[in-house]
Amino acid sequence: MTRPVAFIARVFRSRLSALLVAATASGLPLMIGAPAMAAGDAPERAKDPMYGWVLYNYYQGEAFDALTLLDVARERGGIGGHGAYPELVEGGLMLSYGLTREARELFTRLLEDTNSRGSYDSDNEETQVTLTSQVRTQAWFYLGKVFYLEGDYQLAYENLQRVDADVLEYSDSDLYAEWLYLKAQLAMMSGAFDRKEGITAGEETSIESLREALEQSGLWAHYLSYNVAMAEIAAGEFAVAQQNLSELIADMEDESPKDELVAEQRALLDKSRLSLARLYLRDARFDDALALLGALPLDGVFSDRALFDYAVAAAGRGQMQRALDALDALSQRTLFLPWREQVPYARGYVLEQMNQPRKALTAFTQAAEHYENRGEELVTARQALTEENLNARLSFLRDSDEIITDSYGRLRVTPVDFGLSEVLAGEPFQQALGELNELYRMQSLLMQRESQFSTFETMLETRKIQRERRSREARFELEQQQADDWVEAQESFRSDIEAALAREDAEFFMTTEQKALKTQLDKVAATLARLPDDQSIASQREKYQRMKAYFDWTLANDYGVNRWAAQKQLRELDREMEQFRDQRTVIEALMAGDEEHNELAGRLIRKAAELQVLKAQVQEALAQARRILISRLDQALEQQNTELRRYLVASRHAQARLADQLFRASQNPEVAND
Amino acid sequence: MTDSFKTLFAGVLAAMVVFTSAAVQAEAEAGQDSKAVAERVEALKKNVIRLNRDLFILEEDLLFPASTQFAVFLSVNAGEFLNLDAVKLKVDGDIVASHLYTERQVTALERGGMQRLFIGNLKTGTHEVTVFVEGMGPNNRAYKQAATLAFEKSTETTALEIRIKDRSSDYQPMVSIVEWE
Repeated sequence: MTRPVAFIARVFRSRLSALLVAATASGLPLMIGAPAMAAGDAPERAKDPMYGWVLYNYYQGEAFDALTLLDVARERGGIGGHGAYPELVEGGLMLSYGLTREARELFTRLLEDTNSRGSYDSDNEETQVTLTSQVRTQAWFYLGKVFYLEGDYQLAYENLQRVDADVLEYSDSDLYAEWLYLKAQLAMMSGAFDRKEGITAGEETSIESLREALEQSGLWAHYLSYNVAMAEIAAGEFAVAQQNLSELIADMEDESPKDELVAEQRALLDKSRLSLARLYLRDARFDDALALLGALPLDGVFSDRALFDYAVAAAGRGQMQRALDALDALSQRTLFLPWREQVPYARGYVLEQMNQPRKALTAFTQAAEHYENRGEELVTARQALTEENLNARLSFLRDSDEIITDSYGRLRVTPVDFGLSEVLAGEPFQQALGELNELYRMQSLLMQRESQFSTFETMLETRKIQRERRSREARFELEQQQADDWVEAQESFRSDIEAALAREDAEFFMTTEQKALKTQLDKVAATLARLPDDQSIASQREKYQRMKAYFDWTLANDYGVNRWAAQKQLRELDREMEQFRDQRTVIEALMAGDEEHNELAGRLIRKAAELQVLKAQVQEALAQARRILISRLDQALEQQNTELRRYLVASRHAQARLADQLFRASQNPEVAND
Repeated sequence: MTDSFKTLFAGVLAAMVVFTSAAVQAEAEAGQDSKAVAERVEALKKNVIRLNRDLFILEEDLLFPASTQFAVFLSVNAGEFLNLDAVKLKVDGDIVASHLYTERQVTALERGGMQRLFIGNLKTGTHEVTVFVEGMGPNNRAYKQAATLAFEKSTETTALEIRIKDRSSDYQPMVSIVEWE
């Protein structure tokens, strides 16, 4: 057996959904959150704001945003202070966002690294992931389950095999039960049932041991027992299946499940009774079948099926009126289900068995008309099959504008048209629907980003305008500074100094004080030159000569110091002018061109081109996903149509036969009396 | 006639078996198609994330160059004594950000997440930032607290963090602003 019947698939999925929803709220994030929380009960503080921001998005289920932020952080040099935990978070985010293959590689690397390193190493804290064994084992479990849900059973098996049973049982008994269940499911899928060679000894032992281990885990054990029984039926082992189903029903009848599991267990119990009743019908044990089917509620999930099987059992027992009552009750139900198409034909058949040929003829005529109409509807539906049409037949669970998905990206959807329920229950259809939704989300994101490009261009343009304005201001400032005059003055000063040095001109290097003294001495000399040569003036002239001699001596004495001071100032001026010239060169270069602007503009152009390529790829993938989805639905409708045609032919044959019989009876009164 | 009904019943069962096996085969083929699309979608998702990253960085480079960039984050430590409701942020006297929290956001903060409340540009020099935090405090009483920090904006990116912590000494929440180095 590869899969349980449709019901159990649905129930199994809803059970998983419940667990997965719970996982979204606690389990899966817990798996990722746990390492960060390993040091204590309170959440560890983010040592890098970027990591904190990633977690903020992650805990809100915003996987795409969180993954983008992690990528941004990596591009900017990574997240500091948390070792490889961000990678572990990334793995969890990848799972949530449907990047399962990437997640597998990441987890495998991280978990195997941790495994190989063994226990915590405080000397190398920064680069290591220190995961508790509980977290490690749960990570393997979730990874295995993701692959199981994706139908990649080999990878599911490999990852589930890595789970440490003792650790999982101790840390989370519910997960442990689910793990055993999944392992048993995988064991059943290992090929034994598909080959129809019966269960090999090893596999039986394996499934049996898993069943025994699941004994105390309530519903999971019952689901497994039911699936094993279905596998036995598929393998032709009807007697064993009967025995197992009887035991399962007895076990469930003896139990009082928890409040939240009552409805689910009730549904499984009803389904088990229905399956067992069908086995009884197969063996013509109509009384046993009637007893079982009579116990099923009329308003339960399987009441329609039970009513039909009840009609079959009653007919088998020869109680045609009971059979007709059951079929009449069934035909009153308006909800369309593909399997119920056999009811109109069965009504005619039962009426014929009740020896009411005229009523039977009418019933078969009505049945044929019904099948013709329904066939036409199906043809029209197939011709008008579009994605919009399909969406109109589905009801998506939404939160604002977003379609709600579970932690594994599957849509929360129920069919409005119940003719689709069996198609919708199939994993490939669910996956195709999920992929289509993901592609639409990507398309919407890309369009949103595309609309931002014009904003980016405006930003870039504004930036350029601002820059040009600043350049104009800088140019004006430079002009105001009369930079060329300054350069000229410096050059002139330099040549004067060099010339004075060459002629060892001490006067040139005089200090301000000395220059003032020289001016005063020159004034005195000029005054003395104008005065007559008398004695008092002669003494003044002598005094002047002494002062002049002293001044010249001082000047000669200070020449070295003054020259050094002037040269020092010249050097400082040179340095300042050098800096001035450099700054001016930079400013002029900046004014002349904008490399940063060009780099940003280049990035913008490249990203716009990338976006267009991605948009085209998404569009192509969308067309492919849409084609797959529609063809899948078309196949389902085609199968329904084939079934209808069979019933139409059978109804027409019965109609012809009865009309002929009634005609002959009207021609021959003896036959009519018979 | 009972036999023919049985035949019909058997036919129905056979049809179900045929239908099931045909469905299994169709499912296997469809599964291959889905797998191909799934792999394609996965590759596209990776590319979309990479493009989104590049555009995120480009947007920041354009709008908030590192020399003037100024960001404010908010974190909640424990959250036993304050159920966060709303936050208002002022920079140099102007309100630059305000936020009303959903339950999901509060939970994300309490689990160790950090919200980027604001990102903008500031000139170099001294600035003042003030935060007003509102929520339900101990004994379900409306609670409001403010914190202020004067800081020096350099030419490097500046990041501040508003920390809402539980203070066990008086069973009160405490709001502080710290600068990330």
